[in-house]
Amino acid sequence: MAQRAGGDDSEFTRRAADGGSAPSRREDARLVRGAGCFVADLLPEDCLEVVFVSSPVAHGEMGAVDVDDARRMPGVAAVWSAADLPAVPQTPPMLGITASAGRAWPALAVDRVRYVGQPVAIVLAADRYVAEDARDAVRLDISPLPVLLDPTDAAGSEVELFLGMPNVAVEKEYGDPIDPAVWRDAAVVVEGNYRQQLLAHTSMEARAILIRPEDDDGLTVWCSHQAPHRLRGDLAAALGLPEERIRVVVPDVGGAFGGKSETYPEYLAVAVAARRLGRTVRWVEDRAEALTGPPHGRGQNQRTRMAADADGRILAYELTIDADVGGYPHLGAFVPLNTSVMAAGAYQIPRVHVQTRCVVTNTAPTSPYRGAGRPEAATAIERTVDTLARRLGMDPAKLRQRNFIRPDALPYRTPTGFQYDSGDYPAALALAMRTVDYDGWRAQQAQRRRTGTGAPLGIGICSYLERSGNAWEFGSVEACPDGTYLALSGCCSTGQGHETSFPQVVASVLGVEPELIRLVEADTAIVPRGIGSYSSRSMQTGGAALHRAAGALMEQARGRAAESWAVPIEEVTYRAGTVSAGQRRVSLADLAAATGPLRADEVFEPPQAAPYGTYIAVVEVEPELGTVSVLRLVAVDDYGVVINHVIVRGQSYGSIAQGLGQALYEQVRYDPDGVPETRSLLDYLIPTLSEVPPVTLREMCTPNPNTALGAKGAGEAGCIGAPAAVINAVVDALDLDDPSAIQMPLTPFACWQARQPALAGAGR
Amino acid sequence: MKPTAFEYFAPRTVEEVVAALAGGDTRVLAGGQSLVLEMNYRTVRPARLVDINRVAEFTGLDAGDGVLRVRPLVRHRAFERDISAGPLGRLLSSVVHNIAHPPIRARGTMLGSLAYAHPAAEWPAVATALDAQLDLTGPDGTRTVAAEAFFAGPFDTVRRPEELLSEARLPLLPDRAGVGFVEHRRTHASFAQLAAIAALTVRDGVIDWVRLGLVNAAERPVRAHAAERALLGQPADAGTLTGAARVAGEQDADPREQPHASAGYQRHAVGVLVRRALEAAVRDAGAVGDGR
Repeated sequence: MAQRAGGDDSEFTRRAADGGSAPSRREDARLVRGAGCFVADLLPEDCLEVVFVSSPVAHGEMGAVDVDDARRMPGVAAVWSAADLPAVPQTPPMLGITASAGRAWPALAVDRVRYVGQPVAIVLAADRYVAEDARDAVRLDISPLPVLLDPTDAAGSEVELFLGMPNVAVEKEYGDPIDPAVWRDAAVVVEGNYRQQLLAHTSMEARAILIRPEDDDGLTVWCSHQAPHRLRGDLAAALGLPEERIRVVVPDVGGAFGGKSETYPEYLAVAVAARRLGRTVRWVEDRAEALTGPPHGRGQNQRTRMAADADGRILAYELTIDADVGGYPHLGAFVPLNTSVMAAGAYQIPRVHVQTRCVVTNTAPTSPYRGAGRPEAATAIERTVDTLARRLGMDPAKLRQRNFIRPDALPYRTPTGFQYDSGDYPAALALAMRTVDYDGWRAQQAQRRRTGTGAPLGIGICSYLERSGNAWEFGSVEACPDGTYLALSGCCSTGQGHETSFPQVVASVLGVEPELIRLVEADTAIVPRGIGSYSSRSMQTGGAALHRAAGALMEQARGRAAESWAVPIEEVTYRAGTVSAGQRRVSLADLAAATGPLRADEVFEPPQAAPYGTYIAVVEVEPELGTVSVLRLVAVDDYGVVINHVIVRGQSYGSIAQGLGQALYEQVRYDPDGVPETRSLLDYLIPTLSEVPPVTLREMCTPNPNTALGAKGAGEAGCIGAPAAVINAVVDALDLDDPSAIQMPLTPFACWQARQPALAGAGR
Repeated sequence: MKPTAFEYFAPRTVEEVVAALAGGDTRVLAGGQSLVLEMNYRTVRPARLVDINRVAEFTGLDAGDGVLRVRPLVRHRAFERDISAGPLGRLLSSVVHNIAHPPIRARGTMLGSLAYAHPAAEWPAVATALDAQLDLTGPDGTRTVAAEAFFAGPFDTVRRPEELLSEARLPLLPDRAGVGFVEHRRTHASFAQLAAIAALTVRDGVIDWVRLGLVNAAERPVRAHAAERALLGQPADAGTLTGAARVAGEQDADPREQPHASAGYQRHAVGVLVRRALEAAVRDAGAVGDGR
């Protein structure tokens, strides 16, 4: 590990020391010292601990739930199944997804269970030890039904997971069907079948919620979450309460990755229990529960077809997706939309057609997982482009350069209906090739192949494009009489460092020190509106809203001063926290003290952005055992304007590690009965520092043309770019003609199996 | 992930430990690196734990009379530096760095690993390969079992519930023995997919003594007798090593399908690992012979 990105880190340190562009994170002082405050750290007196009795059966008909013995145990406050509740709330559908209609996900299972781990009864006890004892004393009577674990199988099965309803919950089409003549007449047509395995989010902190009933029949909710206002709305709708009676507070969050933007049945059950008992109640999910889900991420079966002319110009691209949404269609049913609109990647392809099916199965329900549909899109097209290059005998870099959307063609509308804003895709590939020394590695590879010495070496490219940000966000800046500024944001940090980066944005507009600015977010009692943090949207959307709010505050201050001084507003200038006109001059603090609150609220909805970049991986495959070693990984990303380089580089490293996890190590596995086999981190392998190869990060900057701030989304790119780069490199090393011969994770066994003859012949 | 209620007992003498075990449904807590995890998952639910960490007689290890005596409180970490001069110390030290990571090695014990009999654990295969003698102490005194007869299957040994694994005796290896250990695993801290242990001596270019063990290649730790036979009396050259390694994969290994490894892959990989372990051992023996 001695060679780990040493040069880059020193460069990184130098840049950090420059100040301004990369102040260290304010929140780290408490987080790295163990002084953070997570939901599990809040333990009010007399709080009851929740444990769920969950289904051990993946698909079954529910008989009676016998809770009598459990209820009699000392220390147990209550044990309820759905039969004990006057009404069982249903998990509200997400983002208006219609797939949930007729397929409601109840707080506690009614009639049927549809995945192992589905809550069947709730146990409330004095502590978790007692609660688990009571959990084990509940007797279930579940008659097993046939189990469906693969979305393509489930789509064609006669077994109905919801009686009278098709297993295909959503079926969609993007772009126009491609004329068969295109395939028939093309010089080259390549096809591929790719499996996007199910992944576990594996945030350090699992799900957690604490609910205190209030005197006004309302609730205060502390939850490890990404979207507090959404949770408030969902709880209100499910419980039949007015929103203003519910306050949601999100304390420190130990990672989310898309798995904490949802409202889960467990949350509803905890809320019901708190109200029925009039007691404070908490549920803190443990690792065994978290790994077996929900949520899971990915889970797509993909078929691709690509046609090109003899010169390698891509004529058509077709992508067919069967997405696993698990036992209940929830936010996972949204993910294929992302895959579809991003399907064509960075290429100018005249005909693109995508068909998606979201299929219910007996796995745990899926949700977005860092990247959320874009890694799936990038892997599908980037593997297919590499297959095309092999078929044409062309260098894969050259083939990409031939097909990129040129910078002067931007903004560009894809045949699947998404608009790319800005950038220079060919330049990103060129920079990545220079940085990694592409020609040098190709020469090395040719030499190894010619002489038959050394391990199989491969170079893999992924030129990705993603879409970031969506919808509006709230931002507010107030000048306080004490000379500080209060910034409110509707975003919700789950580790992204908003306490540092958002004040930087506001300070840069106001021309004051960032230390004067205090950020408050993730409390619905203080922040009037908001959406939250996902889709790499915080800086792009929430930061841009604050940027505008800070500008509006300056205008407001000028107006207020003009009014009180009775001068035209044009004569009032703003500079560094003060307004002045002629000899008159007043700080915003004094102006607020003298004239009343100075505060600007903004709701800003910029269009989505399209960050992009190119990742290049160089790998060796150990010739006898099949072990993949990543020798180099170069990541070139264009996130638009970067506010804090320390934070963005941290995001890059983290998401690259997770991308390597998908490529090489991670997979949620079920046995044929639908029982999870990956129940601990001994079975579900994630990369740690020891597994992360030398990574070189390079940034490009094309400012977002649609916001004054200029930031695009950052945070998910590594998950999107790294997997396809690594797979393409491994396929290249193994010289595989059939691209479908190998699927993620690229275990030693998978590599050995894919190309046994090459491995057996290479090396010794 | 909370254990069921249990009684906790922390005696200071062997007699008290034995008496506690005789009470039934009792598990021994030494390092707790597997037991506590299993209790948290509730896959084991003992009525009583007997914590042996205060038993002075269970500490320490010493070499003498041709054996290395390892007592129940010797942590994995103790083997990180050569525990005894000579090839056994070198072998144990190269093995131990493959066990989990430093915090686990600081608490987990060699005897705990032997008693737990995880199929992917290194120590059971080392004990089996080297023909270690294991002492089981119970109400009727102490009996000795050869390691090869001790392991009955995954997580299963001939130890009776009322017995404690009180000592392991590893034979010291011949001074001129060369040793090799090679492990295949998916991440730095994950369990072994497979591993091979080799110790041998070479006289006049001919292998005249050999011990060969396999980790996770069957339901029990394996001493690769067939491969040993293919090596004994043969020249220590590439042909011999490769041939014997193939024998180990085809005859000594009895792999079961694993989630990320077919039986065929495992047989192949055993062959690769055994060959590499043998090559390392021959190199090591050469280095000893050169008087290093």
